[in-house]
Amino acid sequence: MNSAREEILGKVREALGRRPGTAVPSVPPSARVGPRKAGDPEAEIAQLLAEIGKLSGATRRLGSQDDLRVALADLVKAEAVTKATLWTTPDLAAWDVAGTLRTLGVELVSPQADKHLVAACELGVTGVDAALPETGTLLLRSAADRPRVVSLLPRVHLAIFPPRALQVDLHQAFADAKDAGYSVLVTGPSRTADIELTLTLGVHGPKALYAWVMNEP
Amino acid sequence: MSQVPTSIDFRANSQQVPPKMPAAVQKATAKFLGNRAALVEALGNDLWQTLRQAGHDLRLHAINHLDHYLEQAERQVTKAGGHVHWARDAEEARRIVLEIAGQHRAKLVVKSKSMATEEIGLNHALESAGIRVLETDLGEYIVQLKGMGPAHIVVPAFHLSKEEIAELFHEKLGVDAPAEAEKLTQIARMKLREEFLAADLGVSGGNFLVAETGTIVTVTNEGNGRMCCTVPPVHVAVVGIDKVVPDWESLTVLLKLLARSATGQKLSCYTQFISGPPQTREETGPQEMHLILLDNGRSRILQTPECRETSICIRCGACLNICPVYNHVGGYAYGYPISGPTGAIFASQILGVKAAGALPFASTLCGACNDICPVKIPITEILLHLRHRVVEGDELEGAAAPYALRMGAQAGAVAFGTTWLYRFGSQVLKRLQAPFVREGWMAKLPAPLDRWTTSRPFPAFAADFRQWWRRRSR
Repeated sequence: MNSAREEILGKVREALGRRPGTAVPSVPPSARVGPRKAGDPEAEIAQLLAEIGKLSGATRRLGSQDDLRVALADLVKAEAVTKATLWTTPDLAAWDVAGTLRTLGVELVSPQADKHLVAACELGVTGVDAALPETGTLLLRSAADRPRVVSLLPRVHLAIFPPRALQVDLHQAFADAKDAGYSVLVTGPSRTADIELTLTLGVHGPKALYAWVMNEP
Repeated sequence: MSQVPTSIDFRANSQQVPPKMPAAVQKATAKFLGNRAALVEALGNDLWQTLRQAGHDLRLHAINHLDHYLEQAERQVTKAGGHVHWARDAEEARRIVLEIAGQHRAKLVVKSKSMATEEIGLNHALESAGIRVLETDLGEYIVQLKGMGPAHIVVPAFHLSKEEIAELFHEKLGVDAPAEAEKLTQIARMKLREEFLAADLGVSGGNFLVAETGTIVTVTNEGNGRMCCTVPPVHVAVVGIDKVVPDWESLTVLLKLLARSATGQKLSCYTQFISGPPQTREETGPQEMHLILLDNGRSRILQTPECRETSICIRCGACLNICPVYNHVGGYAYGYPISGPTGAIFASQILGVKAAGALPFASTLCGACNDICPVKIPITEILLHLRHRVVEGDELEGAAAPYALRMGAQAGAVAFGTTWLYRFGSQVLKRLQAPFVREGWMAKLPAPLDRWTTSRPFPAFAADFRQWWRRRSR
């Protein structure tokens, strides 16, 4: 195994005319444009939700706890949700998403449960670690209270997040995300055009993406 | 593509292109090019050109210091708890995957679309070892059921009609499906969902490998890439050594270029960043992560400075979409999973010009690929260098062209370079052709030139340019 490593690195060095440990000049500039200036917070939120809407995501701007309760009730009804799984982050706890779902008659499944059980959930609820208005992109990091399967296996993915999640661009979002062991950028629900170039939603990932901006808990 | 090709005959392949292929190809490529153009316009051409130049410089910087960044990536992946393997060639890479599969007694492997695993013929090797392997990108799943390889690196099954796919599903999956994209997609979702949950091993490629943090980046739309790297207990990523980028700042540029150039999206649906296995059990995800760094001829590409930029490709497929040759023959004619202009320069160096010397000639050298390439690869310059390698050989490889072609080319050079010989030859030709010419065309030529006239007439040789010029000047 090691000999393969040495041989490949040796060939690369020989081809490039480099010696081991030779200094590397600094990385060329990345054409960083801007930095992009964030506009007025509500305008940024409107742009984010509009971009997600263009990608067939369903969006809402919620204010109070009552708004959230009504929105969840609508979603549970519209998507015929009987089982759900969710992140255990402080925001979702403060908004009492779990409690509200339970009062709506939804059975809650632990994300750490057997994957077949998680896959049987109709709904997975997450927060986001960053939201990018320009592209309608949500960034989700993985952590103990943010399991990866919640935004992947259930048929519907709901992301609820406060305005402070909004960031100006990829540069800012990456500054925080690069030290996470795993993260994913979600830009609209799962899609394909592999059959005769017909756009079809919901191939392997969630068929529906709901993105709700909710006031600070 | 189940096995690594040993010899590619582009001419013969292109004669077997099904008649409906060009129309299907052109429908797809026109759509992608249209989407791309709209986004580039929205961004503004100046900004787009700035991004292209930055993308080119960043990728070339990474390639020019590849040993440094590979070592950095290896350190970071290992630190994060991942296992790094190095594979000199396709055989070694296949053996490593088989060993990992063996350790876990894997019976079912799910794969997300990866040109590197196509290149090494991984599916064939796994199947030979009695392991079921499933492509999970919808297009790849369809061509796998059909027993074919990808016809395009982004949309592998675009040449099949929904009727053909419905029939295929009926025959191979035993389901009666209406010929509707939506229904067919749902059937594939249902079938593959069970397989994802049952799989013992998930295999992916990597669009980029970020040296700074040892992060594998995958760019997908369907979510199968996320499934393969999240649901099975073990994840194996097969990544070419040329996929390295220095840091996340560089990555921002390349992500902006990739999705716009490939499918005309601002960002693909799911862009995934994986640095080692999950740190806690609560995060869910695979317990084990392996990275296989694949050379398989890539270090050789670096040896020729004129060809080195072959390695900065980000596999967006834009050069396929714009190429007049690709648009007429589709992907299969290239006999290699990566087709089109970028496939022609890559495959002929990876396989060598003895096996793939036909590919550098599968181009009109019109240069549209150079103009559209998001990282500004001088594709036609590299094609010309490789043509030279095929005909005359260079420091890396001996000539591969037949002796007669080389002699013919040399004779041509002498004839065109010697005034009296050229004039004499043209007069002789003019007299020799006279009995066969009808209204300026020759319907038949003697062997071996009759290969031309079997399908179309040959224009008569006029040979009077000098005379015409003299008259004109008077």
